[in-house]
Amino acid sequence: MEFSFSSSASKIANSTAFSSLESGDVIMLGVACVLVYLAIWKKFEPLLLLPMGFGCLLANIPMSMMASTDTGGLLNFFYQGIKHEVLPPLIFMGVGALTDFGPLLANPSTFLLGAAAQVGVYTTLIGAVFLGFNMQEASAIGIIGGADGPTSIFLASKLAPHLLAPIAVAAYSYMSLVPLIQPPIMKFFTTEQERKIKMEQLKPISQTVKIVFPVAVTIVCCLMLPGVTPLLGMLMLGNMFRESGVTARLHETAETHLINIVTILLALAVGSSMTAQSFLQWETIKIIILGLLAFTFATAGGVIFGKIMCKFTGGKVNPLIGSAGVSAVPMAARVSQKVGSEADPTNFLLMHAMGPNVAGVIGSAVAAGVFLSLFGDVSGVDTHAALAPVIGNPEPGIQALATVVDAIKQ
Amino acid sequence: MEVSVSAAVNVSILAMSVIFTVLIVLIFTIKTLVKLMPYQTPPATPARNNAGSTSGQDDQVAAITATLAAHMGKRPDEFRIVNIQTH
Repeated sequence: MEFSFSSSASKIANSTAFSSLESGDVIMLGVACVLVYLAIWKKFEPLLLLPMGFGCLLANIPMSMMASTDTGGLLNFFYQGIKHEVLPPLIFMGVGALTDFGPLLANPSTFLLGAAAQVGVYTTLIGAVFLGFNMQEASAIGIIGGADGPTSIFLASKLAPHLLAPIAVAAYSYMSLVPLIQPPIMKFFTTEQERKIKMEQLKPISQTVKIVFPVAVTIVCCLMLPGVTPLLGMLMLGNMFRESGVTARLHETAETHLINIVTILLALAVGSSMTAQSFLQWETIKIIILGLLAFTFATAGGVIFGKIMCKFTGGKVNPLIGSAGVSAVPMAARVSQKVGSEADPTNFLLMHAMGPNVAGVIGSAVAAGVFLSLFGDVSGVDTHAALAPVIGNPEPGIQALATVVDAIKQ
Repeated sequence: MEVSVSAAVNVSILAMSVIFTVLIVLIFTIKTLVKLMPYQTPPATPARNNAGSTSGQDDQVAAITATLAAHMGKRPDEFRIVNIQTH
């Protein structure tokens, strides 16, 4: 074989990713570095933004085969977990294992605050339609107001897969900004006197009620909105692990190792979908603006409904706990506590705010269920087959796996 | 465009109604559950009496009650010591 130094050097130079680097890739590498910076130095949801930023970094290196669309690539396999609705429900199982529904059970009327905060979802839906998105896209964008990352990803992957990356980034970015976004809105809608209201201590709840509650929620909600069963069912299963008292190992796994592993896979998969082609669009800017609108209206909706409850109960409810209805567990509840203690340092609202906070998780899942009932495919046919036009043919890896399974069967 | 926005408003009103309905059903479900299965205070475990005399334990309880009351700023009858564990 003839060897020429110049031709070999030229061949090596052409095989590097530099030769394929385009301006869009460079911008996205910058975006990835910003996400990593925000995660590490600004502590913005680091558990999610760090792997998401790094996934974005990997996906935008040309010829690396790390984008979610690169069939056969590593992160393409992770991305199947989003497309096939595996990862968000598993995250929800971990969330369920971590969540104590006791404060909600002790004061069930706070469910209404979790419902009221969903107003942010629908104002954003209207805003998104006004900005030219179709109903499916607007629904996926609107759910950002639920302040629930897995629900946003779950719904976006079903209704608007092409908008998944900006929706996930907006949802998690604004969730991390809850301590900055909410307090001014909470103070704007409440008086000093209202912020000082002290709430009665919560009554204890029997363990049997805590065990029956997940079953009751699953039956009621999933029968009414079957589309949301993967999310809500897993949430309640995780909570059953916690409350049953007989599955300590499963509970421990779900609330620690499982949720951590799935978080890594989910965040990397979302990051891998942040390519220049999908992210550098006008739609992304619109979604970022609509996301802020969603959080603002959700907070305002919760606080205003809190004021209504305060009036109806003769001043027994502090309206500040309404803002915790936006989900974002437990950060939103902490914000309620912080703003309340600023008005009166002896006021402890944290446990009271946890009620609407966990109600918000159920509320946003129900909101997603309503969208799926209206715009999704819940007809009972093979969902994955119905998704084929969106996700394409089975990947080579899956085909290979199917071949192996067939061989074993024979 | 106008039709779409009005459709979005309709969807929003409908969806909020569904959410409130589902969550109100859950509120009543929980209230029923709490009524059917009320919380029962777990039976108090009798404190071990290492000294072997009831009066000695009573003194301990009285002393601890007074100290806790002073510390928490409550009256001694506002709380009850149910278990003393000695190691």
